[in-house]
Amino acid sequence: MDVLHNLAFGFEHALTWQNLMFCAIGCTVGTLVGLLPGLGPLATISLLLPLTYSIPTGGALIMLAGIYYGAQYGDSVSAITMKIPHASSIVACIDGYQMTLKGKTGLALFTAGVSSFIGGTVAILVLSFLAPSLGEVAFLFGPADYCALMLVGFVCVSFVTTGSLLNGLAMCLVGVLLGQIGTDVNSGMPRFTLDLPFLADGVGIVSIALGCFGIAEITKNLDNREERSPFNGKIHLIPTWAEFKRIIPSALRGSVIGSFLGILPGGGPVIAQFAAYAIDKKVSKYKHEIGSGAIEGVAGQAAADEAAARTSFIPLMSIGIPENAVMALMMAAFIIKGIQPGPNMISGHPDLFWGLVASMWVGNCFLIILNVPLVRYWLSVFKIPYNVLFPSILFFCCIGTYSVNNNLDDIFITAAFGLLGYIFMRLELDAAPLMLGFILGPMLEENFRRAMLLSRGSFMSFMSRPISGTLLSLIGVFVAWQVISFFLQARKAPAPHRLSPELAQPKLAEE
Amino acid sequence: MNDRNLVRGLVLMAISLAFGLESLRYPIGTFSRAGAGLFPLMVSSLLLAIGLITVVRSRFVERVHLDFQAKNIAIILGSLCGFALVSHFLNMTAGIAFMVFSASFAATSYSVVRNLQVAAGLIAVAFAFQKLLGLNLPLY
Repeated sequence: MDVLHNLAFGFEHALTWQNLMFCAIGCTVGTLVGLLPGLGPLATISLLLPLTYSIPTGGALIMLAGIYYGAQYGDSVSAITMKIPHASSIVACIDGYQMTLKGKTGLALFTAGVSSFIGGTVAILVLSFLAPSLGEVAFLFGPADYCALMLVGFVCVSFVTTGSLLNGLAMCLVGVLLGQIGTDVNSGMPRFTLDLPFLADGVGIVSIALGCFGIAEITKNLDNREERSPFNGKIHLIPTWAEFKRIIPSALRGSVIGSFLGILPGGGPVIAQFAAYAIDKKVSKYKHEIGSGAIEGVAGQAAADEAAARTSFIPLMSIGIPENAVMALMMAAFIIKGIQPGPNMISGHPDLFWGLVASMWVGNCFLIILNVPLVRYWLSVFKIPYNVLFPSILFFCCIGTYSVNNNLDDIFITAAFGLLGYIFMRLELDAAPLMLGFILGPMLEENFRRAMLLSRGSFMSFMSRPISGTLLSLIGVFVAWQVISFFLQARKAPAPHRLSPELAQPKLAEE
Repeated sequence: MNDRNLVRGLVLMAISLAFGLESLRYPIGTFSRAGAGLFPLMVSSLLLAIGLITVVRSRFVERVHLDFQAKNIAIILGSLCGFALVSHFLNMTAGIAFMVFSASFAATSYSVVRNLQVAAGLIAVAFAFQKLLGLNLPLY
């Protein structure tokens, strides 16, 4: 009953007209961004972060969360109608686009909308029940356990987002190193600042996110010189009762899978979609149709996508450790607003926590009421030529970077990271693990130094504590499995023209 | 040399060396009393190892052509830096106009009229940000 009481308290905050407005703005902007080429949720959240300075904390967080799940939905719309996923809706391309080819675009979009609503609702229930109890578990964590948990996050994110453990880990480490720029909190010594005063506070997260995601992505689109043809087909949204009945079981299955996978370190929408799709293919009543434009192929993955996007807030808000790059950026937003996510957040700021949870459901309603019927108007954003769009995105990058500190020097830093991000992109190194490494780097160092101080320099404390010992053993087993599978693969394939593991696996975009 | 896997390894090694050699200039200390340089040195050593593995592995896997086009990224970065410089020496309104006109060299076609329209629209948005959201933009 406590949860119901808390949810009612949350709705009191979420249903004020200001917060409703911020939620609606977030969902709208998020959907637009999800549809547009060139900007993912990561870049948008960092672009709009400075604009939220003048907004009250609760409203700012509600808006940023709205952008995140709005972008997830917008992404699936472009995947279904034009087979162009920008961020995470890779699975929606399979059956969703097949349905479009069969002239069932409206049904596919309706299915995605309703399934996302179901997924979001289930996930919010999971979030309400689980986050407070997981927060209590966090009190058992010592510095060594936090270190181990962060390392698990690195390994999982590296593998899930890039498909190659080696490349992903390398990017995490680059992120950790970039996080070292600035003043050492223990000794007060400036590190890697090149004697430039504006680097004494470190590199801004907004500069890195906009450089690596915004500018690099714009340049990639310009290099490709893709001409996108807007969707001009007819959209008939309302399904028959028989079609509607097929959505529910698949969406519920997807919601449960998504809610569970969203909580795990490195988890998030991408892996949840694949898992839900695979399970639907095994157990669905219409499994023989999946792959050729079945409702189940869209419903399950859309529900899992939305559910995982919501439950990935749980580790951030209850333990204080973000589990993927988007959550790392959300954590930066919390900290900028003066709130430290962690076990004390729920008791210290119940209005923020429960208000955010309730607003997610309100956001769900906005998405289904505003976006599903208005989808044909949303698709008209594709008619904006890229030649007009990209100077505008650059403008937002400049204003976003400048407004953080009202400092023009930050734009040079963003330009430098734009170059770095472009190089990484050409080298097929995904920048999402870099973001996580950058946010967690200073925390990792602090906890590592604290753990070593407590154990008087002995590494055994990492193995002797049950939580960190278990987590590190898991990492060990996983790395050993990766090494063994590489050598086994190397033996099977004729040398020297083998396919590397990262090329053999489909590259997954960051969520 | 034009092998993406090899260049990837070399770039990672270069980054690790840049940070690793610099961290040697800071006090290292001991594990129980870590200095400012210890943690970055550990991380950059690990990155160096990954870079080395990537280089070695690139000899055993199929070569992949590295596609790098300098023109567009140079135009975009030049426009950003130009925006900052013009905003610093003149004002941000001129900076926005400069950015739109210079960045458009990377577009598939160049149109002065279109650039004027885009620049005017963006300057209007900037004024709206300044007046409505209270952003401190030096527009004039």
